[in-house]
Amino acid sequence: MPTMVGSAREDAPAAVVVFLVALPLCLGIALASGAPLFSGVISGIVGGIVIGILSGSQLMVSGPAAGLTAIVVSAIATLGSYPAFLMAVVLSGGVQLVLGALRAGAISYYFPSAVIRGMLAAIGLILILKQLPHAVGWDHDFEGDESFVQPDGDTTFTAIGHALHAITPGALLIAAVSLALLIAWDTTGLKRLKLLPGPLVAVLVGVGINAALQRSGSNWTLLAEHLVQLPIASSAGEFFSFFTLPDFSAAARMDTWRVAVTLGVVASLETLLSLEATDRMDTHKRVSPPNRELCAQGAGNVLSGLIGGLPMTGVIVRSAANVDAGGKTRLAAILHGVLLLLAVVAIPALLNAIPLASLAAVLLYTGFKLAHPRIVRAMWGQGWKQFVPFAATIAAILFTDLLVGIALGLAMAFAFILLDEVRFECFTVTSPPGAVLKRVQLQEQVSFLNKASLAKLLASLEPGDRLEIDGSSCRVIHHDVLEHLAEFRSQALQRGIDLRVVGIDLPTPPPGH
Amino acid sequence: MEYIRRLFAQNRDIVADISKHDPEFFSKRAGKQEPHFLFIGCADSRVPIETLTGVAPGEMFVHRNIANQVRSVDLNLLSVLQYAVEVLDVEHVIVCGHYGCGGVKAAMGDQSYGLVDHWLAGIRDTCVRHEKELARLGDDERRFERMVDLNVLRQVHNLARTPIVQSAWKRGRRPMLHGIVYDIHDGLLKELVMQVDGNDRASELLTTQRGSVGD
Repeated sequence: MPTMVGSAREDAPAAVVVFLVALPLCLGIALASGAPLFSGVISGIVGGIVIGILSGSQLMVSGPAAGLTAIVVSAIATLGSYPAFLMAVVLSGGVQLVLGALRAGAISYYFPSAVIRGMLAAIGLILILKQLPHAVGWDHDFEGDESFVQPDGDTTFTAIGHALHAITPGALLIAAVSLALLIAWDTTGLKRLKLLPGPLVAVLVGVGINAALQRSGSNWTLLAEHLVQLPIASSAGEFFSFFTLPDFSAAARMDTWRVAVTLGVVASLETLLSLEATDRMDTHKRVSPPNRELCAQGAGNVLSGLIGGLPMTGVIVRSAANVDAGGKTRLAAILHGVLLLLAVVAIPALLNAIPLASLAAVLLYTGFKLAHPRIVRAMWGQGWKQFVPFAATIAAILFTDLLVGIALGLAMAFAFILLDEVRFECFTVTSPPGAVLKRVQLQEQVSFLNKASLAKLLASLEPGDRLEIDGSSCRVIHHDVLEHLAEFRSQALQRGIDLRVVGIDLPTPPPGH
Repeated sequence: MEYIRRLFAQNRDIVADISKHDPEFFSKRAGKQEPHFLFIGCADSRVPIETLTGVAPGEMFVHRNIANQVRSVDLNLLSVLQYAVEVLDVEHVIVCGHYGCGGVKAAMGDQSYGLVDHWLAGIRDTCVRHEKELARLGDDERRFERMVDLNVLRQVHNLARTPIVQSAWKRGRRPMLHGIVYDIHDGLLKELVMQVDGNDRASELLTTQRGSVGD
C-alpha cells in the first residue's frame, strides 16, 4: 500500500490537478447556492485539509457539493440570513458526528453495486453534457451543476443547443487543444512524466494560448466571463472580511434544527455514496471506514460553518479527477486544500487567467472515463438484474438530479433484490418425487421474505395430502412465518391435510381470526 | 404343469367374479398406493394374511421371509422398511409369527438343514437366552409356542432399534409397531404387543412379564 511519504511524488501533481478542478466548482456551487462566493472556497479548504487529515479514505476529496445547492438556497431563505444558515451548518456537523458515533455508516454496505456504478456513469455523462457549453464558451450555468433543470431556466440539452449557436471561437480552440493534449498524455509515452500530469499541462497550455491571443490583439481573446473569477482581496482586512461567524442565536429556533438535520442526513448519504464509489475506483482496492468518515465530515462541517463556509460532502468529480491524475494517498486531498488556501491568499490574479474552456476539457475527459462504454458493456454482461437498475440510475440522475436519481435507482435495485428474495424457495424437498409423504427441509435462515414461498407450498396442498416440514436445521425463523405455519396447521385437519411440523415450536395462533 | 395352469384359471374366475360386483375394482386401485400397514411375516404357505384380514389391494405392504426375521444387516428387509416408512408413510408395522413355524422348530432342534441354519442363528440365540423359562414349561408343544411368541417380541425389538424407525420416531410417534401371532389351528390372530411408538415402549419389551424377551 502506498504511504504518504513514499507517494508524495504522485500526490503533489495530483493535488494541483484536483485544486484546478475544485476552484471553479467551489465558486460555481457557491454562486448557485446564493451564498457569498468565498464561502465555497472556505468549504473547499476545510474539506481538503481538515477532512483529509481526519478521514480514513485515501482518495476521496471533500468540498462543497452540487447535491446540496437546492437545500442551501431554500434554507437561507427560510432562516432569513446567511449567518443563521451557518449555525445550521455547524449543527449539521454535530448531527453527522452523532450519526458516526451511532455507527450509522453501516448503511453504506447496503448500497447495491449497480446503483453505485450507475451513479458514476451518470456523473460522467453529466460532466460531458454540462461541460460541453463551457468548452465552447457558453458559461451561463454555474460550474458544478448536476441537475437536469438549470437555475438559468435551461435544461441540460437546451443549454447545449444554445451553446452551439453561440460558439466563442477562442474557447473552442483552447478546449480542443486541451482535450487533444489530455488524450495524447494518456495514450502516448508522455504519461511517464509523472510530475507533469496531463490535466495540468492542458490548463497551462490553455492559459498560454489565451495570453498569446491577448498579446496579438486577437478578438478571439477570452474575456473575464470565460475565465476563473476568484474574488481578490485588496488588503488583509478585506481578506478576513470574507470569513463570517455564524449567528449563534439561531440555534434557539426550531427551523435551524430542521435544516441542520436535513443537511446532516443528506450530506451523510452523499458522502457515503461517494465513499463507496471512490473505493471502487481505487486500483489498490482499499476499503474506507464509513463511520470514521461521518465523524470526519461532521468535524469538517462544524468548522466550515464556524468560519463562514458552505456545507460539504465527499464529492465524486474531484475524487475521480484525483484518481485520474494519479493521486495515491490522502496527501493529495490535503494538499489541494492547502493550495486553495494559498491561491486565494497569494495568487488570485494568476488563477483568474485560467480559461473555463481548459477546465471543461479536463472534466470532459474525466467524464468520458467515468461513463466509458467499456463499463456499460461490462454491466450488460452481468445480466438484466444488474443492468436495469444501473441504466435506471443513469437515466434518473440525468433527468432529475443526483439525489432524486439515486433514490429512484435504489428503489429499483431494492425491488429487484426483494423480488429475488421473495421468489427464493426457503426449503429443499427431501422426499423422492411421488412419495405419499412429501418432506421438506427448511434452510438455516427463514426470513420474512421467504414467507411467500412457504405460503405458496402450503396453499398448493389438497385434501388427503401429507406434508412434513422439518425445521430441525433452522437457526432463525421469522415470527410471521411461524405464525403462518401455526395458523395453517390449526385448520389443516379440518381440510383433511396431514401437516407435520418437526424440529420447531409453533406459537399458538392469536385468537379472533 | 397342470398346477400352474390352475393358477391362471382361478385368477380369471376370481377377477370375473369381482368385476361383476365392482367393474372398477382394479382400475381405481391402479394409481398411487397409500397403504396403512407394513406386514412382516413368515414365508410359510399357511399364512395368507390378505385373505385372513380381508384387506383390499393397496392397503398392505408385505415382506415375508423364513420365520419373520428382522435383522439389521438384511438389505431386503431394510429397503422394504425404509420405503414403507419414509416414502409410503405407513402408520403401522406389524411383525407376525405363527404357531407351527418350521423355522422356529428347526432352530430349537439340532438337525441341520443347510444354508437356512445361518438364517435361523438369531432364533437359536433367543432359545439360549430363555433356556430356564422354557425348561420350566413341561411339554414340548408349549415350549414351541412360547418360542414363536418370544421370536416375534425379539423381532419387534429389533425393528424398533433400526435407524429407520429411530429416525422416524424423532419426527413423531409414527410408525406404531405391533407384534402378533397367527394360530394356524383356529385361524385367529392374537395380540402379543401393540402400539409400540417410542423408545420408552420399546424398552418395555425387554422387561414386562408378558412380553419378556430378556432374562
